[in-house]
Amino acid sequence: MIRLTRTPIAVDALLRAVRDPAAGGIVVFLGTTRNVNEGRHVVRLEYEAFARMAVKEMRALAIAARRRWALRRVALVHRTGVVPVGVASVGIAVSAAHRAEAFAACRWLIDRLKTIVPIWKREHFRGGRVWIGMQQGARPARRAR
Amino acid sequence: MRVRLRFFAALRERLGPGGVRTLPAGASVDTLWHALVAERPELARLRVRFAVNEAYVEPSHRLAEDDEVAVFPPVSGGGRR
Repeated sequence: MIRLTRTPIAVDALLRAVRDPAAGGIVVFLGTTRNVNEGRHVVRLEYEAFARMAVKEMRALAIAARRRWALRRVALVHRTGVVPVGVASVGIAVSAAHRAEAFAACRWLIDRLKTIVPIWKREHFRGGRVWIGMQQGARPARRAR
Repeated sequence: MRVRLRFFAALRERLGPGGVRTLPAGASVDTLWHALVAERPELARLRVRFAVNEAYVEPSHRLAEDDEVAVFPPVSGGGRR
């Protein structure tokens, strides 16, 4: 399951998508919208995707993860549109025969997803809104590692 | 030649969703970006990335007729781990 969604991310669907009798473990990561960012009180977030390219890049990431680690199944879901504070905007589930691979792959997938999948976040806070990553004169975005 | 432009996020807000643009044959992504910056000098301050036909490219990438060129800010994550 690799997709974008405008509705809440269902954890049970993520788990179902990676369930596998040969798996010895499932690791799930949920990225949730935080209420404070760089001192601003965030009231909601809004995600915009270049949808077709985003899904392509997510598929490519899942394939790359499976080449790198011995995994059973991978699921990636990202929300678009308005997301309230405190709920999941991205969900990743990975199953593997052994937990070490599942943890490592899940960690790698979220880090890569956040640097290469074309989805942008606009933060609405008390007193304004700002596209994250676009602040002029702000510190440069960190590079993918 | 003609290429199809698409803008996203903060660029979309400044420039609209995109449209068709005519460029000299063999123009690169960089040529296109400089033409956009010449029209809107404030764009020069922005950090942008480019994708052609839904794949990331470097600014030196040469464009072809009917390519879809997407211009957008660095993606939103990228921050602390």
